[in-house]
Order: sequence, then structure tokens, then C-alpha cells
Amino acid sequence: MIDRLLETARRNVDNADALWRREEQTAVAFEAGRLKAAGISEEAGVNLRVIAGGRMGVAGTTSAAPDPEELVTRARASAELGESVELAFPAVAASQLPPIPTFFDRTANASLDDLIRLGKGLVERLERPGCQVNVSVEREIADTAVGNSAGARGEYRGTAIAVAADVTRIAGDDVLMIYDHYVGADLPGDADLEALVRSIETRLTAALTVVAPPDGALPVVFTPAGLAAVVLPLEQALSGKTVLQGSSPLAGKVGELMFDQRLSIVDDPLTPGRPASRPIDDECVPSRATGLVERGSVGRFVYDLETAARAKTQSTGNGQRGFFGKPRIGYTNIFFRMSADGPRGSNASTSVLGGGLIGDIDDGLVVDDLIGVGQGNVISGVFSHPVGLAYRVQRGEITGRVKDAAVAGNAYDLLKKIGGFGTDGRWLGARWSPSLLLEGVSVARR
Amino acid sequence: MKDRLAAAVTQSRADYTEIRVERTWSSSVAFRGRRLETATVSEDQGGFVRALNKGYGWGIASFTSLDELPVMVRRAHELSRAVRLTEPIRLADTAPQVADAALDLDGDVRGISLAEKKTLLETYNGAMLAVSNAIVDTQSSYRDEVSEVWYVNSEGTALYQLRPEVVVSGTAIGRRNGTIEKGLESIGLRKGWRSVQEFEDRFRVTAQRAVDLLDAPRVRGGSYPVILDNELAGVFIHEAFGHLSEADFVYENPQAREMMTLGRRFGKPVLNAGDNGAESGLRGTLPYDDEGTPTQDTPLIREGILVGRLHSRETAAKLGERPTGNARAISFRHPPIVRMTNTYIAPGKAGVGFQDLISDLKLGVYACGAFGGQTMLENFSFTAGWGYMIRDGHLAELVKDVVLAGNLFQTLDRIDHIAGDFTWNQMGGGCGKGGQFPLPVTEGAPHVRIEEALIGGDV
Repeated sequence: MIDRLLETARRNVDNADALWRREEQTAVAFEAGRLKAAGISEEAGVNLRVIAGGRMGVAGTTSAAPDPEELVTRARASAELGESVELAFPAVAASQLPPIPTFFDRTANASLDDLIRLGKGLVERLERPGCQVNVSVEREIADTAVGNSAGARGEYRGTAIAVAADVTRIAGDDVLMIYDHYVGADLPGDADLEALVRSIETRLTAALTVVAPPDGALPVVFTPAGLAAVVLPLEQALSGKTVLQGSSPLAGKVGELMFDQRLSIVDDPLTPGRPASRPIDDECVPSRATGLVERGSVGRFVYDLETAARAKTQSTGNGQRGFFGKPRIGYTNIFFRMSADGPRGSNASTSVLGGGLIGDIDDGLVVDDLIGVGQGNVISGVFSHPVGLAYRVQRGEITGRVKDAAVAGNAYDLLKKIGGFGTDGRWLGARWSPSLLLEGVSVARR
Repeated sequence: MKDRLAAAVTQSRADYTEIRVERTWSSSVAFRGRRLETATVSEDQGGFVRALNKGYGWGIASFTSLDELPVMVRRAHELSRAVRLTEPIRLADTAPQVADAALDLDGDVRGISLAEKKTLLETYNGAMLAVSNAIVDTQSSYRDEVSEVWYVNSEGTALYQLRPEVVVSGTAIGRRNGTIEKGLESIGLRKGWRSVQEFEDRFRVTAQRAVDLLDAPRVRGGSYPVILDNELAGVFIHEAFGHLSEADFVYENPQAREMMTLGRRFGKPVLNAGDNGAESGLRGTLPYDDEGTPTQDTPLIREGILVGRLHSRETAAKLGERPTGNARAISFRHPPIVRMTNTYIAPGKAGVGFQDLISDLKLGVYACGAFGGQTMLENFSFTAGWGYMIRDGHLAELVKDVVLAGNLFQTLDRIDHIAGDFTWNQMGGGCGKGGQFPLPVTEGAPHVRIEEALIGGDV
């Protein structure tokens, strides 16, 4: 498909690149502890970008038998309105790509019954009186092919599996919802499932007692899940796009110490076993790791081809594209970790709430979930959210769950001095981090 | 197409089978700062089959290749047979519907050139950039679509629906040294080209606000009397109550059913709320939902008392209630689940306005515009775009970072005044649930007063 499309493009435009992808998903869903539905989904599509008359245009389709002529015509029409850009498509041979396993036979070969058994086992371990358990298991097999008119080609086959569980406990007018998941390229092992169950159990048990929230500027431990509000501004600010546009607070700060010296942030598409890992990005740039923050100083920003061309720098291989629209910048696997840690970070127990950071807290919170993350003025670093799931810490111990409290702060100020890195580093989707202890977080209560 | 789907349904060995096929034509234009990002036309198409057998669960198949339809009908049946159930799934009865329902295209977007769409968006984007040198970045987008949806099920329903959609939105980023603020404007309707013209002023005002916010103080955290403007009051009812009224949350959970018993009081007698998918031309409007049930106006709260909830055929059967036309899927890639359409707080007494709501307040907050909202059912957030302090019965200084923390049982019951100035929101955006985002929905409300609500911030 790619060859035919690029051949047609070559006759009509200056340059072109394209992505073809085919995805096959199998999913089972347990609702209130019962297997309720099984489904499959098959999707294929292609995305084409052209440079015609120096201008860029895109076209995409999910048609089963795409007509290359029609697609090129549509991309050219898009280019007629497009901006001019000097895009250099990389020329790279498939043999030069870094080796990274993306396909796991066990995942691909798991039968529907295997997936049902996996989900059922999890339901049984999570069920308890007064609680409703929902579990979903989704397996994906995807074939990706990318190519461009400079002769680069890349192809890979990937697997992914996501096992998600949520437990809802309603007692009178108290609603408690606890969620966790496993995401990987390979099937979860017993230890992974055990970790998932223990993570939910630990947080559920500690939540059964409801206590009054504190208020004031307090020490707060953000768990890997609770950390989303704090790291989201950084993820936006480290994108070459916001830097180019002048809206990133980190623009012009490369090499400057902006964060606690122990903090390093890395994007690594070559991490074994992760579904976001791949040998080549969606614009034919070979994968490699990018140091975004190195020992507290701003390292590199992430770029796709177009943003890099406009910023007069190189793509970091962070081009991502769907079937529609043009490629954009996306992270792959992003690590927030202590600088001293090895490339995968420490990997200790996830069943200790607070990651070993609460011992010295006289009065504060452990925040595991905030409501409305991503909906404020994110890029500024300022956040303010009601707690979804949070615990009070008094004299070094968790005393119960707090409700009707809101936490606020500025990510840039809070990350200048990190009170501690937890021993509970883990994956959450495509982000790896431990818990972080941050000081002086504003806590308001009703 | 209907005949082709009806033939495929007839071939199915399952007790119940439904097929939905969609073909969506769309165009989009985007600017970032002064630079055009994209201008493109796309076509997306595919199908969805759902099968159910007595004593078994749902079998589901979605696909982009329509040639596969007969195969997918068979797969859905087989998948259903792989899901054994002790308690069978029942579907509430609905009268079979046979209709062609084309919504008003209000200027068919397919007949307008991409160049004209680019010009329109350039005008709005330019209006934001022209406001001040402090506007360092903008993100503007225009997106339209016309979706053709065919739906056929084995009970005799056969529908064709033409659903238009158009959204224009702009974010203006203001920056002075280390301070960054944003303004967000969007217009989203289930209409066409004519309905998104002549909005320069709104984009200009939005950009000016981003600049004004650079000098505004952050609101202090704590509990205040809060007045919500129409837009935020709409988002409030969606988050505070709309999601709780979706019956898939309660139908399998005895404790949740008890908590949400019809007849329970949730608010003062001033509070009336509902969901109306049949209202014309709004973002959440549909003639039929994605199970072929006609949409309707469903009262949810009447004079403070819970009187109804939103249903699919499955949740309605389980609870012994009537389907309400709220089973919606974001596309052929997904099964229908219980969703809102156009959710509203009904107006209070005619003639009662904003001034009447603040005149007796010594200190309060007027929370305006909506950056968004999210719920965890009992607790929820709603994020205002900006706010003003109210001091001694008068509007005072502009404040920023106004995020409200709501509690279902406390916040709803503390609504003590509702103005008569009802309007429907016309924002783009959409609702997310169960991995399906953004579903087109909207809200409507008058100005609403909450006696006491928690706002986050430095204390």
C-alpha cells in the first residue's frame, strides 16, 4: 500500500511520506463481577502527507481499498492552502533501525477464552461484600508501515494488552471509586496481577475510615497516579511546539537548573515491553531516547519533523500520526525519576501507600487522584483541583480518607525542591514515576 | 444501504442483532499563532454489529471494511455465545421505527470550499492576535462534519439519519514574563456553515480576557457563596447530576440504586433539571439514539426531587422503567452506552436576573465561563474560565484560577436562587465516558446561586 501510494505521489508532488496501520482488537468486559460482553474490532487506514509547490498538505482515509489517486488529489488540495515548509524527509534503511521487541507471541496468541480467564481471575480476587467490581481486558495486535519519497521504509508488528479494574463501594451516601490497570506489550504475569490486586486493596482498606481534611500549606505525597496534575504542565512545556510558539515557560532555558537536582525526565521509545515502544517513529525517524530534564536542568525538547524544521533543529523521533490530520509531537514512554536511578529506576513495592515518604510528615496528605486534571490553565504550571482520592497523614501515619478538600499549587515552584522520591516507582499508562513528596502545597477544605 | 443491512440482519443466527453503519465526511482547518497548521478534508467510514442470545451476553464487532459485513455478523453471534450468563440480559420494548431523518444542515458544509473555511478561521484567529502584543500564541480550529448513519435491527427498526456538526474554537495565550494565562472560546452546534458566522467579537473579548487575567490575582481558597453564570451552571448540572442520572451507574449496583431512589430529595424546591435530546439544533440533539429509540425531554429533578434517569434499552428493562433515547456511541468503533444529550437547569421566575442574586451578598464569587468539569460521582470539579469577587452586593475585582469542588449531596442542596435568564450553551467540546470522547453534548441554564461552595487555592 505504502509503495503504491508513494509511487502515485511521486508523479504528482515534490515529496511525500505516509503511514499505513492495521489494528485488531479483542476485548472482554465484566460488569458488576459478571462477564457481560465480548467484542472484536478491526480497523485499517492510511495517512498521506505531501509537499507540493513547497507547501504541505495531508489526507487520510479508513477506506478498505483506498484509491491512491484520490488520496493524492485530496492531499494536493490541502497543500494548496498549506504553509510553505522546508521539510527534509529522512532517508534510512530498515537495517539501520534499533532493535526493540514490539511483538509478543503470548499476547498475540491468547485466545478469547484466555482473556476471559484472565479477567475472571481478577474479578474473583477483587470481589468483596458491598463492592461492585468492573474489569476489562483488551488485547491489540497492530501492523504499522511507514515510508517516504526519500526511500526510507519501516515496518513493525506490535502487541499490547490492557487490563483495567475498578472497584466501587457505595455505603449510604459515601461513594468510593478505586481504579488501577496493567498495560504492557506482553501478557501480565502472576506478579503483575498480584500487584494490581494489592494496589487496589491497599487503597481501599485505608479509605474505609473518613477523616476531616487539614488545611493550609502542607506537605503532600503525590502517588504516581496523583502526580498527573504536577507533571502535565511539564509535558506540555517540554514539547518543541509550545517552545516554538513562545508559550512554554521552559523556552530559552536549556541548560538552566529549573528543578530539584535529583529530578531527571527521559522519553524512551526503546523501553522493552512497553506498547508505546517502536523502532521508528511515524515519520520514518529512527527511535532513540531523549533526555528532557537532566539533573534538574532543561535538556532537550521533543520534536516532530515539521516543528523541528521550523525551529531549525532535528526531529527527536517523536512524530505521531493518526489516519486523519497531520503528524504531531507525542511522547512515547516518559520516565520521571531520581537522577541516581538506573535507566529503569528502582522497582520496589507498590503496596505501600505513599512509597515510604510519610514517616516524617506531622500533618499532610497523600494524594492519589485529583478531579479535573488538564482543564485549567495547564501550561502556566498552576493547578487547583478537588481531591478524588486522598488520605490524611498525621504523625507519620495514614489516619483515613479525606473528602471535600482541594489542593492547589504551581508545578514549577513545587518541583524546585522535592522532599523525597518514593520507593514505589511504577508504570501508569506510558508514564513511569515513583511517588513524590512536595512541600507547601495549598490545601483548602469546606 | 438499509436493504443491504436488513439482508445481513436476516442472515444472523442470533436472537437479537443490530447493525450501524456510518459514513462521515468532514473538513478541518487549524491555526497555531499566525501559521496555518492544516486544512484538510477527510472521509471516515465503518460498521458496528451487536448480537445478543438468550442466556448469553453481548457479542460486538466493529470494522472499517464493509465487505466484511456478513463475516462480522457471524463473529458477533459467536462472541455472544462465548459469554454465558446466569441472569439474562433483557431489552425494554420499543416500537420499531422506520424513518429517514435528516437534520437541518443550515448551510451544507460540503458545499463550502476549504479556502472559505480557512478565511473564516483566519478572521477569528486574527481577531485574537490583534488584541495585544501580550497574546503570544493562539490555537484556533474549525471542524465540520456531515455524518450519514444507517441503523437496522432484527425487531424491524430501519433508520437513516443525517447528522451535521460544526465547531469553531479558539484559545488565546497571554504571557508577560513568567505569567501565562489563557482564554477559551468555542461555538459548537448540530448545524452548518451559516451558524458559525460573525463571531469576531467573541474571539476578541476572549483574547482580551487572557490579557486582563495577567494582572488579576488568584482567588483565595475557601468556602464562598458562588454565583455561576449560564455557561458554568450548565457544566455544573452536567457534572453534578447528569452523570449520576445515567442509569448504567445504578442498574447493576443495589447500593447505588438505593442512593438514587426516585422520590429522594436532592435540592431545594427551586431546582428543576432534565435532559432533552429532542430540542432542535443543539450539539447534543438527535432524532433517534444509537439503539433506534426516539429522543425526548426527560425530567430528572422536579422541585428538588429526583423524578427520572437516563436509559438505554438494557438499563430500562433492568430497572422496570422506559427507555429515554440516551444510548449513544461516539462512532461505529464503539457500542452505545448511556449518555446525556442536552442537559439543563430550568429557569426560575421570569424577570429575576443576576443583580437579584448578588444584592444581599457581603462576600462571594461570580464564576464565569467553563474550561471544563469532571466527576467522580459524589465529588466533582468544575473549572471556570475566570471570575469576579462580589463585595457588598456589587461586582468587584477580576480573579483567576477559579476551580470549584462540588459534592453531590451538599452542593445541589445549597442552590438557593435561580434566575429567569435561561440560555443554551453553544460550546464545542464534548463529554468523555468509558473511553468514548468527545461525545457532542451541551447544557443550558440560567444564572444560579450556590449558598456555599468550596474553591481551591492558597488559604
